[in-house]
Amino acid sequence: MTKYAFVIDQRKCIGCHACTVACKAEHDVPIGVYRTWVKYIEKGEFPNSRRYFLVNRCNHCDNAPCVSICPTKALYKREDGIVDFDSSRCIGCKSCMQACPYDALYIDPYTHTAAKCNYCAHRTEVGIEPACVVVCPERAIIAGDLQNPASEIASIVAREPVRTRKPEQGTGPNVYYLGAEEAAINPEIAVEELPHMTMWSTLLHPYQNDAQELDRSQSLRTLKTINQLKPYTPLESQPRVPTEARIVYDTPKNAAPWGWKVSAYLGTKSIGAGVTVVAAFVLVLYGLNGTLSSAMFNLLGIGAPVIGGLFIALTLVLLITDLKRPDRALFLLLKPNPTSWLVWGSYIIGFFGLVEAAWFISGLFGLTDVLLWLVIPAMLFGAAVAGYTAFLFGQAEGRDFWQSPLLLPTLLVQAIIAGASALELLAWPLHIGSAVSTSLAIIMLIAILLHIFLIMIEVFGSHSNSHVATAAHYMRKGRIKDIFWGLFIALGSLLPSAMLCIALIGSETQPALLAFAGLLALIGIFAYEHCFVTAGQIVPLS
Amino acid sequence: MSVRARVDDVWLGGPLWSPIPGLKNEQRFTNNNQLQALQVIQLIQMRHLRQINVEIDMTEIPLEQHIAPGGEQMTVRDLASCPPPERWHDWVEYDAKAWPRKVERHYAIIPTICFNCEAACGLMAYVDKETGRVKKFEGNPYHPGSRGRNCAKGPATINQVNDPERILYPLKRGGKRGEGKWERTTWDEVLDTFAAKIRAAIVEDRRDEVMYHVGRPGHDGYMERVLGAWGVDGHNSHTNVCSSSARFGYQIWCGMDRPSPDHANARFILLISSHLETGHYFNPQAQRIIEGKMKGAKLAVMDPRLSNTASMADYWLPTWPGSETAVLLAMARILLVENLYNHDYMRRWVNWQQYLASEHPIEPQTFNHFISILLDLYAGYTPSFAAHESGLQEKTIIDIARQIGHAGTAFAAHTWRAATAGNLGGWQVARALWFLSVLTGSIGTIGGTAPNAWNKFVPAPFLKPGPSEVWNELLYPPEYPLANYEMSILLPYFLKEGRGKLAAYFTRVYNPVWTNPDGTAWIEMLTNEQQIELHAALTPVWSETAWYADYVLPMGVGSERHDLMSQETHAARWIGFRQPVLRVYKERNGEPIEYTYQANPGEVWEEDEFWIELSWRIDPDGSLGIRKYFESPYRPGHKLAIEEYYRWIFENSVPGLPEAAAQEQLSPLEYMRTYGSFEIPVDKAPVFTLNERELKSKDLEGTRVDKLSGTIKREGAPVGVTIDGRAYEGFPTPSRKLEFYSSTLKEWGWPEYAIPSYIQSHVHRDTMNHDMGEYLLIPTFRLPTLIHTRSGNAKWLYEISNANPVWIHPVDAERIRVQTGDLIRVTTEIGYFVNRVWITEGIRPGIVACSHHLGRWRLETGQGTDRWASSLVELAKVDDGIWRMHQLEGIQPFASDDPDSSRIFWREGGVHQNLTFPVHPDPVSGMHCWHQKVTVELAHQKDAYGDVYVDTKKAHMVYQDWLGMTRPQTLRPDGLRRPLWMIRPYRPAARVFKRD
Repeated sequence: MTKYAFVIDQRKCIGCHACTVACKAEHDVPIGVYRTWVKYIEKGEFPNSRRYFLVNRCNHCDNAPCVSICPTKALYKREDGIVDFDSSRCIGCKSCMQACPYDALYIDPYTHTAAKCNYCAHRTEVGIEPACVVVCPERAIIAGDLQNPASEIASIVAREPVRTRKPEQGTGPNVYYLGAEEAAINPEIAVEELPHMTMWSTLLHPYQNDAQELDRSQSLRTLKTINQLKPYTPLESQPRVPTEARIVYDTPKNAAPWGWKVSAYLGTKSIGAGVTVVAAFVLVLYGLNGTLSSAMFNLLGIGAPVIGGLFIALTLVLLITDLKRPDRALFLLLKPNPTSWLVWGSYIIGFFGLVEAAWFISGLFGLTDVLLWLVIPAMLFGAAVAGYTAFLFGQAEGRDFWQSPLLLPTLLVQAIIAGASALELLAWPLHIGSAVSTSLAIIMLIAILLHIFLIMIEVFGSHSNSHVATAAHYMRKGRIKDIFWGLFIALGSLLPSAMLCIALIGSETQPALLAFAGLLALIGIFAYEHCFVTAGQIVPLS
Repeated sequence: MSVRARVDDVWLGGPLWSPIPGLKNEQRFTNNNQLQALQVIQLIQMRHLRQINVEIDMTEIPLEQHIAPGGEQMTVRDLASCPPPERWHDWVEYDAKAWPRKVERHYAIIPTICFNCEAACGLMAYVDKETGRVKKFEGNPYHPGSRGRNCAKGPATINQVNDPERILYPLKRGGKRGEGKWERTTWDEVLDTFAAKIRAAIVEDRRDEVMYHVGRPGHDGYMERVLGAWGVDGHNSHTNVCSSSARFGYQIWCGMDRPSPDHANARFILLISSHLETGHYFNPQAQRIIEGKMKGAKLAVMDPRLSNTASMADYWLPTWPGSETAVLLAMARILLVENLYNHDYMRRWVNWQQYLASEHPIEPQTFNHFISILLDLYAGYTPSFAAHESGLQEKTIIDIARQIGHAGTAFAAHTWRAATAGNLGGWQVARALWFLSVLTGSIGTIGGTAPNAWNKFVPAPFLKPGPSEVWNELLYPPEYPLANYEMSILLPYFLKEGRGKLAAYFTRVYNPVWTNPDGTAWIEMLTNEQQIELHAALTPVWSETAWYADYVLPMGVGSERHDLMSQETHAARWIGFRQPVLRVYKERNGEPIEYTYQANPGEVWEEDEFWIELSWRIDPDGSLGIRKYFESPYRPGHKLAIEEYYRWIFENSVPGLPEAAAQEQLSPLEYMRTYGSFEIPVDKAPVFTLNERELKSKDLEGTRVDKLSGTIKREGAPVGVTIDGRAYEGFPTPSRKLEFYSSTLKEWGWPEYAIPSYIQSHVHRDTMNHDMGEYLLIPTFRLPTLIHTRSGNAKWLYEISNANPVWIHPVDAERIRVQTGDLIRVTTEIGYFVNRVWITEGIRPGIVACSHHLGRWRLETGQGTDRWASSLVELAKVDDGIWRMHQLEGIQPFASDDPDSSRIFWREGGVHQNLTFPVHPDPVSGMHCWHQKVTVELAHQKDAYGDVYVDTKKAHMVYQDWLGMTRPQTLRPDGLRRPLWMIRPYRPAARVFKRD
């Protein structure tokens, strides 16, 4: 069986960018995005300084995470080892960009679908080497069949000290480097002095006009100064350490593929799922032993499914509009990839929607028995809706911060906070009795404290690797620290906790205070989701 | 016992093919011609034809023969690099965009030559048969120089073809020059206008008023023939902003003006250039430098800036600019002192006898005595002196000198622009470097460095015109008798001083307003209709200079024109054939094409045809004797068709080509149309140590031998040299030897430079006070992805590199108190520019550097320099002699046929520098000395990115200062304007070398 691979001999590579341009010519790759590119690193102090080059591209992994996460099988592994793609199946969900630890994928600005190096499969099919291999002046890029013992590539991989990028990711990469410099191969070592400037270029991202994609504050200091041709004023000046490895040339990076829509989706989903779960719980608590008051029935039987359904619908809207090809949203159902949690997630949300509808109908027509029968599926699907994202983010192999085992409990707790908060908000105008309000308040308080505890472990606990540590540090001390500490911890967690305590200790019910605490807790949830999504994407992949 | 060699196509199921002339698909070699088999194998290996499988039963061949000369092991490859040539007429490939759906695309593959530098690498155009357009360019594996591989600039040719900003029709100015009012005109009008103007100049014997000023020639010999036919002395070039200094250093030694190192076989490589990223000839030489390195050669690179080349080197030698000569001469001294030089070579080939006889006539006239004098002469060039001058460590200098000595005849060295182009006396850098090659006896050896003429082949055309009878003092003025090339940069001053005027001026792929120092002087010259009566810019792309022309004439890019080129890329001789690929494609399909523009986009002409047409119109009835050179050699009296010009050359002037073509049942022209290049067989044109070729007795008829020097002369002209009793061809110098001692320099006013010596640069480190903000600016470094000033039409190249911040060392940055990204003002002798700072450990402290490609400008929104690359600026003379440039708008996205143009993400297109440089013509070589002593400071309050300020009065003063450094030779008794033996690109008759 053929197994195509690349050897990139950095002992020979002169950093000429011929591969980049030949690839652009072969595939007509739009400007601003790259299937293969060359990164330059400078190291050492004059005169013992040196520049190092690294040719980057898809690694055609044995266990390609982009293939597993792709919801529509637009990405697939061929029998000859090439990871290829079919843009006509792609819905533009960008999850492949999160799954790939090598930064190999981009969204084509014209087709709005994902693309990457496909080993020039259309050329190998007719027996010709990839375009980058043919052009390379130094024959530093070697293509061929690893399984053919007579091939040049097989003998190099067998005999020379080759290495791969991020072997610890377990992806089984098939781009083998010879003589590559560590600081060039490991994107977390070299520092970027001024991210939108290199030794011979200014790098502004082509997506800068797209509001969603502009959320790349993590890696850029300021953009507008350059647009206005004004002197640059650094926002965060970093002390220069001359001996550090420095990135001196790189291509514009992909903007963080997931922006506010994904953060918001996590929040709306928590509300939708949480309202249902908490309502079901309260229903079990109060409804099993007698008739519900009408106010309570309005809250749990009608209000909860309406809120739950609304936010689940909003969740779907956010998900679909975040697709680069929303017109292909139905491909999730029509061309599903069973290994993708994006697919399972959409099924779960779909079934959850049905449960919500049944709940609402039962509530509307006062079918209490049916309602009680729906309690178990509602709690199960609610939990699934809240929790499946942990598995989806777990498939995003490129983002180690999202691989945390605490993510599932965190998401469940968030759903409970969101659900209880939303119900408190609803309870106020509905003049619900103090018993339910108090129960909700207790649930909310416990959940908030548990949430803080989980997040503190996440952020201050020991980190499995530097990627996770960097992301956590960014949350604590980086650009989003104000959102984390101010909006999430202080305003969204501690303040509502205090308000809840006051309300619980006080003799009279204070529905307005509880509702306000709920509102703040919801702000806290949204704030945290923003931090979580942003921080996860802060670490450079290449 | 037999040896069996089989050359296979890896194309599964495809027919076998035979790329090597004379080799059948399967051939048996008997014991008797085992050697032949080895030669065939070697030939295959040398050509690096990757798409062929070689299955050789080597039981009879010693194992070491399996290794190719390039050091690469023969391997069985499972993928081919390029389609087999018998399928080039109809190659089927799947559409990359439609993939994974298998949509077949049919291509005709037609070879051509890249025009994006001078290396002349091979390209193959893939013409889509459905659309009739070129889809892409890949390498041509049959090209001996580039061997199927290219740099980034090769595949980017397709951008230039499809550039939405390209000029498609000839344009004529409407308003005043430089006003930017362009109207479309006809080629007929252009040709008639210029024909009348030139004819009048010729008829009225104003033959120094017609000037063709070329930047990138892209051909060998074609224009020299045209100008020769017209009988004008009007060839002007860009060379004295480029390489004339290095050329002079080489020429003064050996009569040939470029080096051609055999990097692939060297043991030690010393570069004062950056051939792993740019340079003549980047891709072919970079291939062979790395090849040599992988075989164990050590690489040393002298460059104050950490180039990519220096990064790949075993030794980076960041010399203070201008000190290179001191270092090289110190190394020479070490070779002498430590007895590491090649005695026999020195004794035989250096003109020491002449030196002793002239300078030490009463001392012993022996080689040993010469060596002892050498030791004295260079006694001062100690490692510590060189270390002091250069900032290098003594031990590094000694170490490298010893390694060079041990490399012996396998020492390859190259300098081209770099230090030679930056410094006053830079030509001594090349001279001192060649001295090391002489000392090691590595000239023209395997692994050594040959003079260019030994590795280049320029075939003669039919009917070559005789030399002209005019001497144009605008090109070779009396102040610069030794100038290696035309004093191109001084043209505006000469015209201003009333030394002449130009009736017809062609700038061709040349952008002096932008490129040359003191560009505003060029604007003033070009806008003065008394000085230049008629100006046409022949160019494939808008340039800042074309803006000031009367006519802008669009010419084809690399795939839209014919040219014949040969370069000294390695130890071989080859020719490459540039073709208008769409014309070739259409003609193959039976479409009659009379002129290339009929196949090109719009009305884009090719120059070859332009000059033929123009010449016919200058001399319509043949009465001036011009027309005959432009008549068909096959159809007497008819106008020369461009195909016939090349057909004649291929049939008559390229040894081995007709035979090779015949073996494939092709005519020589068809062979070149098919393969695009040809390597002259070594037996027909040897490449190594040609000085050792012995003269035969018939060569010696009518000659006399000079007893002392051994020089063999016929009628006073040296033709050979006698050494140890045998007559050799030698070198094309007056002594026919390597001229350590240059009587020419002595006789022409520079006796102190008669031998290689160190000239302190105008930017010597002692002249800089860093605490006062004074630094040395290197304004010339090139990037691997850009094409001087011709990349503006290549979006993929600009996407990679689009700004030129000033590189500065952290120590200096701290002194100036700047951080990366801050704006600084760089003040030269005559003005300043404002740019950003890039702090790097890759530059010597005390030096700042700024790449030269960037900072393109245009003066109007809609027209002018490509919007991919240029900023919109205001450029005007604001005051008495003061010019200012201000950027109104950086690079912005724009709407066009190419959707990418609306997605441009780079905003700062760099900052222009050259306007702020005065001319610095070296008094000997005539080279513009680029390096600048500048003051660097934080930008002033109102300074903006890209601001430029120039005081032209100061510029003129600097010109006069440097002119004052010359030693005009107007009072020579022999009346010569220039040494007769020194080459000139277009050489008038010997008679006119003498002043009347």
